[in-house]
Amino acid sequence: MKRPRHFHSPLLIAVLLGVLLLAACAPTAKRPVEPSQKTPAKPYEGTELTLASMTDQYVTAFRYLIPKFEEKTGVRIVLDELGYVDLYSKLTADFVAHTGNYDLMTVDIVWTGEYAQNKYTLPLDDFMARDKAALALDDIMPVAWTLGEWEDAHWAYPLAGYANVLNYRKDVLDEAGLEPPRTQEELLAYARKLTDKDKGFYGVALLGAKGPPAAQDYMAFVQQHGGGILDADGNIAINTPENVEILKFFGELFEYAPPGATDYWWDQRETAFRSGKVAMMEGWSIARAGYENPEISSVVGKVDIALAPVEGMKPKYGFGGWGIGINADSKHAEAAWAFIKWLSSPEIQKEWIRHDGAPIRRSTLEDPELNEAYPWFPILLESFEKGDGDYRPRIPQYSIIQDALGVAVNAYLVGEMGAQEALDQAQARVEENMR
Amino acid sequence: MRSRFKRSIFFVEKHYLLLLAPLLVFVAAIALYPLLFSFYISFFKYRLTDPNQARTFLGLANYINAFHDKTVVTAIRNTFVFVAGTVSIELVLGLGLALLFSGKSRGMRVMRSFLIIPMALPSLVVGLVWKSLYNVDFGVIPYYLKQLGLDMGRGPLGEIKLAMPAVILIDIWQWTPLVMIIFLAGLKSLPREPYEAARVDGASRWQSFWRITLPLLKPTILIVLLLRTMQGFKVFDIIYAATGGGPGTATTVLNYHIYTVGMVFFKMGYAAALANILLIIVAVLAVLYIIVLQRQQI
Amino acid sequence: MLIILALLFFMLPVYWLMTTAFKFGRDAFAIPPKWLLFDFTFKNFQDIWENSQTPRYLLNSIIVSAGATLLSLLLGVPAGYAIARSKSAIINASAYFFLLLLMIPPIAMLIPFYLVMRNLHLLGGYAALIILDAIFDAAFVAWMMRSYFQDAPREMEEAALVDGASPLRAFLSIALPHSLPGVAASALYCIIFSWNDFLFALMLTSPRTKTIPLGIMASFSSVEINWGEMAAMSLIAITPALIIALFLNRYFVQGLTMGSARG
Repeated sequence: MKRPRHFHSPLLIAVLLGVLLLAACAPTAKRPVEPSQKTPAKPYEGTELTLASMTDQYVTAFRYLIPKFEEKTGVRIVLDELGYVDLYSKLTADFVAHTGNYDLMTVDIVWTGEYAQNKYTLPLDDFMARDKAALALDDIMPVAWTLGEWEDAHWAYPLAGYANVLNYRKDVLDEAGLEPPRTQEELLAYARKLTDKDKGFYGVALLGAKGPPAAQDYMAFVQQHGGGILDADGNIAINTPENVEILKFFGELFEYAPPGATDYWWDQRETAFRSGKVAMMEGWSIARAGYENPEISSVVGKVDIALAPVEGMKPKYGFGGWGIGINADSKHAEAAWAFIKWLSSPEIQKEWIRHDGAPIRRSTLEDPELNEAYPWFPILLESFEKGDGDYRPRIPQYSIIQDALGVAVNAYLVGEMGAQEALDQAQARVEENMR
Repeated sequence: MRSRFKRSIFFVEKHYLLLLAPLLVFVAAIALYPLLFSFYISFFKYRLTDPNQARTFLGLANYINAFHDKTVVTAIRNTFVFVAGTVSIELVLGLGLALLFSGKSRGMRVMRSFLIIPMALPSLVVGLVWKSLYNVDFGVIPYYLKQLGLDMGRGPLGEIKLAMPAVILIDIWQWTPLVMIIFLAGLKSLPREPYEAARVDGASRWQSFWRITLPLLKPTILIVLLLRTMQGFKVFDIIYAATGGGPGTATTVLNYHIYTVGMVFFKMGYAAALANILLIIVAVLAVLYIIVLQRQQI
Repeated sequence: MLIILALLFFMLPVYWLMTTAFKFGRDAFAIPPKWLLFDFTFKNFQDIWENSQTPRYLLNSIIVSAGATLLSLLLGVPAGYAIARSKSAIINASAYFFLLLLMIPPIAMLIPFYLVMRNLHLLGGYAALIILDAIFDAAFVAWMMRSYFQDAPREMEEAALVDGASPLRAFLSIALPHSLPGVAASALYCIIFSWNDFLFALMLTSPRTKTIPLGIMASFSSVEINWGEMAAMSLIAITPALIIALFLNRYFVQGLTMGSARG
């Protein structure tokens, strides 16, 4: 054997190390250093914030407004757009490991309790008390505070309010001589009447897919029947006789929904409505503008919007949407708060709405110019005034409830089990996983 | 040549060790801690989101609970159905494709390249695409099946009986080309002498495939079996995007359930225990494959 | 005939996705399906060009895939050869350690991996993703190449050894050049794995190092999926992979000619 040949292997290791080093050095990105002109008006000049945003419509408004904020303050904001699948996991990893990668994040209303309990985000109350004069807090719709408020502290600031409304086909209802349904019984009766299976036309589009869709749509119907997932003491009570009845009602509605509705996600429900296959659809108000866009909609000019039909209670309407929070591990909390403050100010809110944002302020909802552009704002305003942000319980265990209901409701809809059995199992699954 | 019985189990050839060492060191440096952590934590009750990060020692309770957990039992059964379905069909289809596309011509080469597109798409996208193709109201597949007069009911992903085969088909669509590529490489490495001898003996093409190609391909088959079985047990993206484990629990596989336990319930100890159970199942299967396929070589 | 059938099965969904990239949203799910005649538009490409950093994602994906593949081959091919040729029980057993690694569900290791990468200060850079991908890729390459070397005729190597060449020499100048089809197949696997990896990329990248699958999945909002943009980005994503595959395909054929020269 010739010994020197062994040389190859250390060489290999050396090459390897080189590759590793190169790879480690690669990401150091260089940004042009701007000459700093520190004036009192730009106290955070040069700060860089990272904002994790859901890719809902309002991301368009972020894209438009962020450069304006940067110009005004000299703060740089890196916008990271994440899909619904990714945002929650990525943020959780950031919080748990205390890496502080994100300074600002959009927070789903249903994460409120979880974020508050684990102190993932910074309570904003000190900031709010200090800047009270400039914030015009009374102008923000009371229900909008559910986007982040938990046990008298604010873990996220209202960003985008969504109302659950009824979208319906004006032309179809007119032809049948119907007004939009006001009660759940009417909704069912009209759905039955308007369904014509031979023509492939159905009364109503619903969410039935296993997981968040089935769970959230069911909870919306529970709310509209005056029921609840929590009892009066705040305990989780899924398998009550009332909820079983509501599940049966929900199942009956599916007979007048397209046959594929038991595996609809939100996008497929939208597709069903936009392609003109169904007469009625309940859903978030933010989708409304899209029906008038001929590029994506085949029902332009045929759609109107009404308050969601409710049964046997003083009317309350489902409310949801997103808040914006500051990471508890952020090193730039002041600058981040400055952005929130600026963004939520009444003047900027108008720009926010014009670029596909969603409203939180009464002044925006009542603004004459905006009402001209968005004639459905009065319905929105009324939905917000009687809004119920807690129909999906914003408690720390929300994701467990949603998971259990997502399994149970879908299992009932596809005939795997009865209504009572399904909800019993959901209740058991929640109790087991809360431990 | 050294004789067999002289070697102790500590015998290593230095030059081969040097070839192996970089990978060993690399893996040990990066993967050992996560591996051990995952093993260690499976004996604890540990909720990831617990502000105090408290860990309570439970002994084997996580493992014992798993077998009383109805969802776990269903999920294990579904996983076996999924793996058996995908691996067997992909193996046969992949070998068939490899033989079909083994030509040397430029046209073949281009066609082979096109076949890798399914693999090059993120599995989540593949799941979403097929979910749309399967949709009974505006999907392509049910549309044509309905034209043929078939009653599609709630559609392939909506009916409990159809969902699993439909999901298996997605996996076949995405990963059979990979099996084909591994077989293509395997086929190219085969020696030619046996075939020439067989031709001289007047064997048919089918006979020489059955008697020569298949036995010689055994190591490649083993690789395919191992790889696809392991990936089959780990399937997640396709299920997540296409069915979310539904309808009901029809397509809830173990890895999907582990995700739910870990990333929805944040029960990291239990999730780790379930992951280790999955690991043991796959390891036992892997050993079986190796014994059956390599017996003759040893 | 069979070839056409196979191509139809594998290509029709791809074709559907490709045409969706050039459709307006209202036509994507039209019934009956619009296979050929639809309003053709570049709007989706225009939108992703304006609103997302697709070229950046593409570049990141290329860096990560190339890095992970090179690293995996550098580590995995020699290891595979050593395991295939060695008579040592320990070296042979190490193969099963790599196999074990391949079996672990990534979700179980995600959080500890994340913590390791944080402690190494690698989060958000390319290195973390390259290293993590390479662990799984290299373990697979070692297995793949082990079986490949076991299959391959060893007469020439043995002849060289008898002539006094070292085993390393035999590996580098005889075994390696003859195993290019196997290396090519392994490389293709590594590239594919890194190219469409979603979970690791999601956890380990920063906005600057995002890879293309993350860009694609950003079309998935809480209310809908922007199919046009998702399809357009998918189309952009598969193009480089397709080019690489075309290139690597030469090696499969080259292997054949070498095999015949050998016989």
